Amino acid sequence: MDSSFYLVQLLNAVQYGLLLFLIASGLTLVFGVMGILNLAHGSMYMIGAYLAYYFTFLTDNFFLAFLISGAIALIIGFIIERFLIIHLYKRDHLDQVLLTVGLIFVFNAIQSFVWGNDPLGVEVPSLLSGSIKLTDIIEYPVYRLFISGVCIVVAVGMYLIINRTKLGMMIRAGESDRNMVENLGVDISKLFTIVFAIGVLLSALAGIVSAPIVSLVPGMGEHVLISCFVVVVIGGLGSIKGAFVAALIVGLVDTFASVLLPEISSMSIYLLMALILLVKPQGLFKN
Amino acid sequence: MSVFSNKSEKLFIYIFFGIALFIPLFLNDNTFYINKIASIIILAIFVMSLDYLVGRTGLITLGHAMFYGLGGYIFTILAPEYEAVNFWLYTFYVMTASGFVALIVGLIVLRTNGIYMIMITLALAQMTFYYFADSVDYGGLDGLFIYVKPETSIFGLNFLDLDNETHFYYLCLLSLFNCFIFFKVIMNSSFGRIIDALKENPDRATALGYNIFQFRLIAYVIASSLASYAGYLFALQYGFVNPTMMSWDVSATALVMSLLGGLGTIYGAILGSFVYEGLHYTIEHLTEYWMFFMGSLIIALVLTLKNGLAGFLNSFSRGKSDE
Repeated sequence: MDSSFYLVQLLNAVQYGLLLFLIASGLTLVFGVMGILNLAHGSMYMIGAYLAYYFTFLTDNFFLAFLISGAIALIIGFIIERFLIIHLYKRDHLDQVLLTVGLIFVFNAIQSFVWGNDPLGVEVPSLLSGSIKLTDIIEYPVYRLFISGVCIVVAVGMYLIINRTKLGMMIRAGESDRNMVENLGVDISKLFTIVFAIGVLLSALAGIVSAPIVSLVPGMGEHVLISCFVVVVIGGLGSIKGAFVAALIVGLVDTFASVLLPEISSMSIYLLMALILLVKPQGLFKN
Repeated sequence: MSVFSNKSEKLFIYIFFGIALFIPLFLNDNTFYINKIASIIILAIFVMSLDYLVGRTGLITLGHAMFYGLGGYIFTILAPEYEAVNFWLYTFYVMTASGFVALIVGLIVLRTNGIYMIMITLALAQMTFYYFADSVDYGGLDGLFIYVKPETSIFGLNFLDLDNETHFYYLCLLSLFNCFIFFKVIMNSSFGRIIDALKENPDRATALGYNIFQFRLIAYVIASSLASYAGYLFALQYGFVNPTMMSWDVSATALVMSLLGGLGTIYGAILGSFVYEGLHYTIEHLTEYWMFFMGSLIIALVLTLKNGLAGFLNSFSRGKSDE
């Protein structure tokens, strides 16, 4: 256990944290703007991963599969918002929970119908399959760096869109006062559709890029959803900045707990969440 | 003052318990169906506790299955492996122990509300799930087996043999009946009235001098403790416990059943459990992909049936729409 071992763990932690951010940002964005808690958010991650598997298999090109799966995810998001979520804006939290639980069931059934229940894997694209030498004996896979890169690009892109564009302005306005935005003549239903589709895309994107490094199994979405909840609760629901910081904290705690304290590793992030809630019930970055 | 809040409730309870009392006689010791119905009755107790918590206090939890699972685990861990213990004594132990856990958990989760509470209860339940799933001492994902079922003597009298399916069925039915009466009594007590007021208008209730947090905590502990009793019965019926008892979808499905029956109506929990499980059982036999149909059903349910089946029955028995 020397310093290079810890360096590898640190890179893993950051990569996992960034991936969690990608998913959590979608969840928190949709909640922040629309006031909707989408429990089927994890299913979108799962669907993203399976779509990536399917199109990589068909086209033999991971990057093409990446684009096609992303486009399909956007369409799925659009359809779900237009036909189902649209009925929920005036309902309470319980109806949101139940409807999105229904969606989880439907997506799980679709997954098991189309792809079966055996674990599947996607090959790492040959362009990114190499490793980088960190020291003489320890190497780090390029693909994991690629994932971190994609996440950082998305994070920066989101920051720019939210802070520098007209759409971003409407999103920020929608977060602070929904009625006022509507009264000022913004077509709020269009804004909601766009935001929801982006949220779905973010989650699916995480599924697509992580498809080559995880095994695709039924239930993978729920697992991710719950880690994502921890991130969002710690960061403060609706805060994208909070999600970013919290995702990195969760990534670090989860990775290092499994190395240093294996007995409690699967509980570590929940313990962290409980501790933070005791001090700040609204999360770290709730304004 | 009558126990029943309306005519359809009274009718349903009479018919349900009337049929349930005699059904084992008609099933001619067909143990498969007796077991199946007993398992739905156990589920109905669990759903009823959730129905009270969510429907009456307005606090939405997605981690109720944690207590369901704990009920089973607490019994299996406390009871000696090869010795028949007393059922009633362990009922007390299980409910007290999980009530104590609920007190601690409640102190954390009730600091929040709304969406936050949904996520935190879910996360804490998952934490417990992983704790048991990873624990070598408690059998990991395979769980633990119960080798000897408890005996049920009271003051030396022994009516029930838990190894006998029909006896066990009647124990479950009696438990469900007691649970129903218990919640109805609570609802009509001053405690229940205050809980209703808290849901209706927390600020006003606070202004009247009630400590919201305390009342919510008490309701949370009661509901969780009863959920653990249902889990204890489940463990006794099947002779094992494993972490899947507390997985998130158990909580979610129970919420669906509660909504299906009519949130906060208590008797709706029985209605919801039986209708849901009946559909589940039927569809599961028709297709492997039953989840697709149950999922679609849930979505359709949320979009159409606002007051659940109980609301539907109620408006039907009054001959006009409830809206």
